[in-house]
Amino acid sequence: MPDWKKAAYVAAQAADARVNVELEAEGMTLNIGPQHPATHGTLRIVCRLDGEQVVWADPVPGYMHRGYEKLCEVRNYPQINTLVNRIDWLGSFCNEVPFILAAEQLMEVEAPERAQWIRTIFFELGRQANLILFLGDVGTQLGAITPVFLAFRDREHVLNMIEAATGGRFHPNFDRIGGLKDDLPKGWLDETVSAMKRVEDFCDEVEDLMIGGTIFQQRTRGVGVIPAEVGLEYGLTGANIRASGIDWDLRRDSESPLAWKSADFKVVTHPDGDSFARCWVRLQEVRESARIVRQLCEGLPAGPIMAKVPKIIKVPAGEAYVETENPLGVMGYYLVSQGGLGPFRLKIRTPSFNNIAIAPWVLRGVYVPDVITILASLYFILGDIDR
Amino acid sequence: MTATDAPATEAPAIEAGHHQRIVDGLRGSLGDAVLDVVLERGDLWVRVDRSAWHGAFEAGKRKLGLTFFSFLSGIDWTPAPGLSGERTFKGEDADEGDEPVEEATEVRTGLAGGDTRFQVFARLFDVRRHVGVTLKADLDDADPSIDTVTDLFRGADWHERETWEMFGFTFDGHPGLRHLYLPAEFEGHPLRKDFPLLSREVKPWPGLVNVEQIPPHLDPKNQPAAEAPPSEAPASDAPAADAAPPAEGGTE
Amino acid sequence: MGLVEKGLLPKPLTKLLNTARSYSLWVYQWGLACCAIEMGAAFGSPRYDVMRLGVIPFPASARQADFVCVSGTATDKMAPPIRRLYEQMPDPKYVISMGSCANSGGPYWDSYSVLKGVDQIIPVDVYVPGCPPRPEALLEGIVLLQMKIRGEDMAERWRGEPLVVGGGLEHGGVPEEKQVAVLKARKKNPAPA
Repeated sequence: MPDWKKAAYVAAQAADARVNVELEAEGMTLNIGPQHPATHGTLRIVCRLDGEQVVWADPVPGYMHRGYEKLCEVRNYPQINTLVNRIDWLGSFCNEVPFILAAEQLMEVEAPERAQWIRTIFFELGRQANLILFLGDVGTQLGAITPVFLAFRDREHVLNMIEAATGGRFHPNFDRIGGLKDDLPKGWLDETVSAMKRVEDFCDEVEDLMIGGTIFQQRTRGVGVIPAEVGLEYGLTGANIRASGIDWDLRRDSESPLAWKSADFKVVTHPDGDSFARCWVRLQEVRESARIVRQLCEGLPAGPIMAKVPKIIKVPAGEAYVETENPLGVMGYYLVSQGGLGPFRLKIRTPSFNNIAIAPWVLRGVYVPDVITILASLYFILGDIDR
Repeated sequence: MTATDAPATEAPAIEAGHHQRIVDGLRGSLGDAVLDVVLERGDLWVRVDRSAWHGAFEAGKRKLGLTFFSFLSGIDWTPAPGLSGERTFKGEDADEGDEPVEEATEVRTGLAGGDTRFQVFARLFDVRRHVGVTLKADLDDADPSIDTVTDLFRGADWHERETWEMFGFTFDGHPGLRHLYLPAEFEGHPLRKDFPLLSREVKPWPGLVNVEQIPPHLDPKNQPAAEAPPSEAPASDAPAADAAPPAEGGTE
Repeated sequence: MGLVEKGLLPKPLTKLLNTARSYSLWVYQWGLACCAIEMGAAFGSPRYDVMRLGVIPFPASARQADFVCVSGTATDKMAPPIRRLYEQMPDPKYVISMGSCANSGGPYWDSYSVLKGVDQIIPVDVYVPGCPPRPEALLEGIVLLQMKIRGEDMAERWRGEPLVVGGGLEHGGVPEEKQVAVLKARKKNPAPA
């Protein structure tokens, strides 16, 4: 090799090295939260960035840790019923049901059929109240402001129906061991059916405006793909795992005493596993939920709403684990009783805890704007993570 | 409700096919390390030796199709008479047939038994056959430690961190047992039964008083008659003043 | 505003300034828990429409806010960030505490990780009770705050010690090296009593 070639080679190498040095971004640590709109709540995420890319991300939960499991050990069953409403605060009634079912299982009490149907109706109303806000919120995260206004507008129709029957907009505290607190007021069923029309209109509107739109799809399709087997390892549930193609819904697949068996509905799945799939599955779930409510309102059986239970609730010793398909995923209560007025130990399995535990895995290597998309589409509620 | 008396070798009557398959599979993989099996209300509990904890998860995931990791947590079986629920309704408010709530003083472990103070339990699920199992293992009282399962189920990471924080169990081989919920300077393990809730120690639950007494000056019994003419007012004042002290004594 | 600092503000001018201030409040929202959704309904939904009260939600940062609405459970882990954000707000600043948890700890009064009310770390002007309060209740709280602002003597407010939480940071347990520079300077040259 002639000398000039050697020199040119060395010079080229040196130039390359210089360019590499100039272009190399120094690693930067970006702290998101704990109070940041993108985390919709008080979640903190520490990201290590290389340029625009996330090298690793580590969520720091605990800013909303209220010590539920300890507090439940020093309260009696009616008090816990009040407390667990506040775990997933968007679909409060759904939190009560598995707890009540677990206690009923140990007490060997079964609520009457009408109570089970009304429970199912409220469960689905809670799901709508929760997921409607998700559909609005995911727009905000992507820069579309209008959907959140629409969501708050149409969510009121659902909240009004919950309030009309239970007295509480947010935390109904309506479920009792052995039945329900009250029967439905007069005219409630017709009103609810017409509110379902508004919910379905909202779904159409959001689909036209946002989820069907090109901008939304370009920002979410192929972003944050979670394969099914990884999702199962992390314990993802709800729409997150159904968006990865796992056809599993406890409403259909478990021996629940609630009235889902009496309704005709589809379990929506999507094969892609990306952010778009998760949003789309949730949108369809709201529609299916409205269908369930309409069917149950039309076929509601007559009868009592309360089984015979003692005035002072004492649960016999034993262990029971009951889980239901909540708006965010599978929520379960592992109730250990030793015969007292309160549980000996209550392990609360919340869906968001597992759903957000996957964040370090799914955020690795994505770009910073996609962090927000992925977190929004994973959909967590802080009370549900931290308990 | 405890099943500790049942000998571990005797196979319990498990009818549901999928449950039987899981029990057979676990017994086949672990042998005598399966200490107890309970099927109750259509749900399955299996207690394994703590040396077989990792093996049970491996058999569940690789052979038995239990691919879904639901949760992992711990339990402290120390009896805590003061902690388990409010004892408010034992007195005058109780129904006639209600016997007073008995407080546990000796350790009573739950389903599938247990020999030690601490237990760790976890739940696996099969999303195709819709069948789940709760695995349990006893931990040593002095050194509560057990193998990690994060190499099999990556989702166990946070659950083990939470259990470490709440109970003080250590998980051998876990990539980093750091605080999850509580600030780093927090001392103690809140879900252990000997962790006191100081707010409750300082001030008992205000709901202990079911119905507050009417203050004596508002009690209608102590009020002078409203339609009494003013001339008789001094006469009616005297009995009211007499009646007040016993009422006050009653409230305290 | 030299007049304000000297305490020589004429009354009509005070009234004018107060009215102007009370109807142009930027609110910074700390949605911590359930109440955040009701706060969102009050601030973001067309049904309750907070802007008709002259309150503008969603400022870009705490440094642009006039008052803050703390809604939800404040935990021990969250307390330092709350305090830090409050310190970044420019004076005059006001706080609305929304919901039982922010007021007193609420249903978590006996928890090992929950503050017994956000007023333990920052001063609160208006308490809105409820669990959670309805959006209307929050709107009434805002109206009450506006009434308070209109009745305020600005000269009185700015005379003497600066408006520091609970009589100064030195009582708040924050070590001196961590205090912000302004507060250090204020401590060095205290205002005449």
